[in-house]
Amino acid sequence: KMAALGRVPPWRRGWQPVVQQLRWGSKAVTRHWKAMHFQRQKLMAVTEYIAPRPLVPPSCLPRKREPQEREDSGYIRLLQRQVEEIFRDNRMVAVCQNNWMPQEDVAMMRFYLRKHNIEVKFVLNEIVRPVLSQSKYKNLLPLFVARNILLVSPEIKAKEMLRVLRGVPQVNLLGACIDDTILSRRGVENFAKLPSLETTQSQTVGALALLPSQTSSLLQCSPAHLTALLDRHIQQLQDGETGTAAPAQSSGDQ
Amino acid sequence: PAGPSGVTVPRAGLKKLIHPPDYSGIVFPERPKLKIMERMPAVPKVQREPRRLRDIRGPSKTATDFIQGQYGILALGGGYLRWGHFEMIRLTIGRNMDPKEMFAIWRVPAPFKPVTRKSLGHRMGGGKGPIDHYVTPVKSGCLLVELGGRCEFEQVKPFLLQVARKLPFQAIPVSKDGLQRLREEEEEKKLNNQNPWTFERIATANMLGMRRYLSPYDLHYHGKYWGKFFLKHRV
Repeated sequence: KMAALGRVPPWRRGWQPVVQQLRWGSKAVTRHWKAMHFQRQKLMAVTEYIAPRPLVPPSCLPRKREPQEREDSGYIRLLQRQVEEIFRDNRMVAVCQNNWMPQEDVAMMRFYLRKHNIEVKFVLNEIVRPVLSQSKYKNLLPLFVARNILLVSPEIKAKEMLRVLRGVPQVNLLGACIDDTILSRRGVENFAKLPSLETTQSQTVGALALLPSQTSSLLQCSPAHLTALLDRHIQQLQDGETGTAAPAQSSGDQ
Repeated sequence: PAGPSGVTVPRAGLKKLIHPPDYSGIVFPERPKLKIMERMPAVPKVQREPRRLRDIRGPSKTATDFIQGQYGILALGGGYLRWGHFEMIRLTIGRNMDPKEMFAIWRVPAPFKPVTRKSLGHRMGGGKGPIDHYVTPVKSGCLLVELGGRCEFEQVKPFLLQVARKLPFQAIPVSKDGLQRLREEEEEKKLNNQNPWTFERIATANMLGMRRYLSPYDLHYHGKYWGKFFLKHRV
């Protein structure tokens, strides 16, 4: 080619192979990391993975709470049945907040409450909540949050219960359901101040019996009045006889 | 949940009783432990073979999925396994596994490829050296060992990791679910890549004459393989 510097026809120009870089260097597969050609490095840099970026970062969105799939084991069903039984069999159900108490104090409290036939039940919120939401006691749901215990009894002895609870500062009464009526803490206190059922019954009976007791006196009122007048009159006559006979006769005619 | 003041009082709920795992469909092979791999094949080769490093390059076509076991060691790079590696794997796994509850099987053949070595201290020339040892070529994506039985991945992972670190190429312990998740993640990455320029696109269309600097194998490998290495972060 150098010999003919002027115009050289193409079939005389010669042909150089394009693949010149394989003349030296290592093979394709090496034990070490083979240095990439710069163009290839640029290609690798350009074609890197770019992760998708949402407009709102996921940390700003509310966290999706996975729906808790709970297989209803027999144990859970048993506990739920027990809770239903509690609400069915007992007339008074009081919900109290239970803070930590030493075991001996717990035992003493239970003993004193047992004397008044009040039982202390420890229930788990995650069992009580579904049971209540499906029964008629839906309005008791807000009470079953955090630690609590149930004081249940077939009789209603609010005064004794409050007295025991006043002696235990760690247990605070939140609310009660007495005879299917929901009462707040103040309502329970007022309820306790009410006189007992027997006294109220006797009072109502007395109030009702008041009128009939008066009927006999009402009926006998006019003849009694007449007899009193006649008595007075007889007395006056007797007093008048000692005076003159004519004025007594005239008063007798009248 | 935190109340209005933001303070939570921790309390215990009902214990969630989980069912124990079901190992009913597991079939144990005759010998639970890994069999001894021989140093050289029964009939040693006479003809010396060319180096053929392409058996290291690229993705594996054999032993990519699980057959019998649930957990295994996945090779993330290419390389040669020698008899020493085999013994190390066999002894480590045999020492750490419980033959009554677990079993292990080889997914790679015994060394069959002859590798020649010239004697030390001699100049170049004089022909090809004699056969020194035999190796098994391994490509990336190949499962080396499979483990199965009445065991969990957490039990098996520590010693599989111990083995994987000692291998001449990158390797990780995987379970069946883990492998599937890896593949799914790869597919997802391919789909939600925001970069409009991909290696595959540029190589197949020979944009900017890139094929001058790429190998014809790069049309299949799409920039994920370079020599014997597997580039995990590439898409």
